[in-house]
Amino acid sequence: MNKRNGLLLLFAVVAAAQLAVPASMIIGRERTLREGRVFKFRTRPVDPEDAFRGRYVWLSLEPGAVEVPETGSWLHNQKAYAVLGQDTNGFAVVERLEHSRPAQVPAVQVRTLWFNDRTREVNIEWSGLDRYYMEEGKAPQAESAYRSHSLRTNRTCYVTVRVRGAEAAVENLFVDERPIRAWLRDHPEEKKAER
Amino acid sequence: MNKKGVRWLYGELPQLVGQGVLTSDAAERLRGHYGEAEPLRPARLAVVVFGVFGALLIGAGIILMLAHNWEELSRPVRAALSFLPLVLAQGIGAWTLARRPQSLAWREGASSLVFLMIGASISLVAQTYNISGDLPRFLLTWSLLGLPLVYLFDALVPAVLYLWGISEWACHLRFEDGFNAGYWPLLVLVLPQALRWMREGRYGTRPTVFLWAVCVSVTVAAGVTIERVLPGLWIILYSGLFALMFLAGEFWLGEAEGFWARPLRHFGAGGLLVLLFMLTFQWPWKEIGWNHWCSGHERELSWRALPDAVLGSVVPLGAIVLLATTARRKTVLGALLGCAPVVAVVGYCLASLTEAYAPSAGIFDLYLLAVGLWLLVTGLREAKQGQMNVGLLALAALVIARFFDGDLSFLLRGLVFIALGVAFLVTNVVMLRRKGGSHEQA
Repeated sequence: MNKRNGLLLLFAVVAAAQLAVPASMIIGRERTLREGRVFKFRTRPVDPEDAFRGRYVWLSLEPGAVEVPETGSWLHNQKAYAVLGQDTNGFAVVERLEHSRPAQVPAVQVRTLWFNDRTREVNIEWSGLDRYYMEEGKAPQAESAYRSHSLRTNRTCYVTVRVRGAEAAVENLFVDERPIRAWLRDHPEEKKAER
Repeated sequence: MNKKGVRWLYGELPQLVGQGVLTSDAAERLRGHYGEAEPLRPARLAVVVFGVFGALLIGAGIILMLAHNWEELSRPVRAALSFLPLVLAQGIGAWTLARRPQSLAWREGASSLVFLMIGASISLVAQTYNISGDLPRFLLTWSLLGLPLVYLFDALVPAVLYLWGISEWACHLRFEDGFNAGYWPLLVLVLPQALRWMREGRYGTRPTVFLWAVCVSVTVAAGVTIERVLPGLWIILYSGLFALMFLAGEFWLGEAEGFWARPLRHFGAGGLLVLLFMLTFQWPWKEIGWNHWCSGHERELSWRALPDAVLGSVVPLGAIVLLATTARRKTVLGALLGCAPVVAVVGYCLASLTEAYAPSAGIFDLYLLAVGLWLLVTGLREAKQGQMNVGLLALAALVIARFFDGDLSFLLRGLVFIALGVAFLVTNVVMLRRKGGSHEQA
């Protein structure tokens, strides 16, 4: 085999590895979206001052804090697994926080923020589930709808997340029980109104 | 001998043979010894530069079009389209390796396009599936997938992009409080190719640009990979690092001509002068040393201490070993700038032991004064205008900084500024006249 063919063969191997990474991401997410269990997450009231994020809606899921037996066993900015359950209204709750990936139960990777020793709560960040991408141009309207429906007085926004093992994928964003894209079609007046 | 020298020599050879200074056999042997003198071809460089820019612009255009996130298309279609930029770039890459392996412009352009499209494809998939978070992992995956391109295409741009990627990774991981000392083994992965370029010609464009990039990358990484446990270690590490760069440049790449052709020497010297100036203030010396050991997370301490211990000792020691060689070669500037890590260790120990900051800052006042004076005097004596001005700048910075520290009247400060301004003007005018005179005589 001459040098040129050798290089081409090596390049083929490298190119396959380069394609394998996005491919494995797609396969993993598609499986999660098809086979995963659906959890409905309430969205937290968002800061209206929070800057417009361009092509995606910045999500902030509930619950923001989890009660633990002992806050001392946690460090700031640490990876953790939130084991999920459901409340009586069908919304997601965190049953417990684990240091390592639990087997058999649906759990989502989160990051620890700060602690409240008095209430024995660890504040968490849903770092992998904080974006919902929209078509360019629609994201600002969607974000403003999300903001106005995630206020303390008007909380009709929720997000569906599919969870398979420890892999989670945001499926859809709902406003007034309607998927965001359909809701935007029904409410054209929302366009640019709050930008 | 550098390329310029070889070209000059080859230009002289016919005359030397004609005058009987050299036999034609000797001239041929000289040609055999130095090899081909590469002719100056600025057009070739332009083709490479425009090739790379063109590839990058096309790549960016494709990414922006796909980033529109067409909602008319179904999710699987969008996912499949995410591969499009990467597959196209890989196709161009394969064609280049098969049909244009000799063309530097094609190799550089195609490999940089593939490198960027790897990141684009991953980002587009992330957008389609609302994946976010873990930026460091994305940067590391991207850089490692791009690294083989440096070797397969024998290309500089992917090497520079790789250096950028691993430095960004180290910085982001630092913000997330992660363990980022892996930067150093990652850096080693790209060095064999750089050594190959250096063997082909130490003063070539590719090793020179690569060394500039390495200097920047290593300087950034040094700051973010250390000081998990020992406050103030940056003083010793950076003085060692810049001294090491300067001395290595002096020893192994001493024959290069011009500012840009000597990255190690000039980046090291520039870094050292800035560092020396910073260390003349008292703030760097406050609350440093073993009395202020960071013992935040006891169970992670041993891991966190490792990069501090290794980098904080190996880099300054390396500089000191080179300094010992300098002493034998008797180059004054090498010895003067090379002893920075030794002075830094002395200052560090002094500040740690006594908890007094003025003596360490004072030592660096004297050190910068000595370096500035030496640069100024030798610059004047040897008619090196750049060196003279750097010396003058160092002295002026020192004087201004100390005058702002003190509680002096505006009148006195004004007089000092005028005196410094006059010194700059007079020395430069004298230097220009002297140079003008020597040109006229010649």
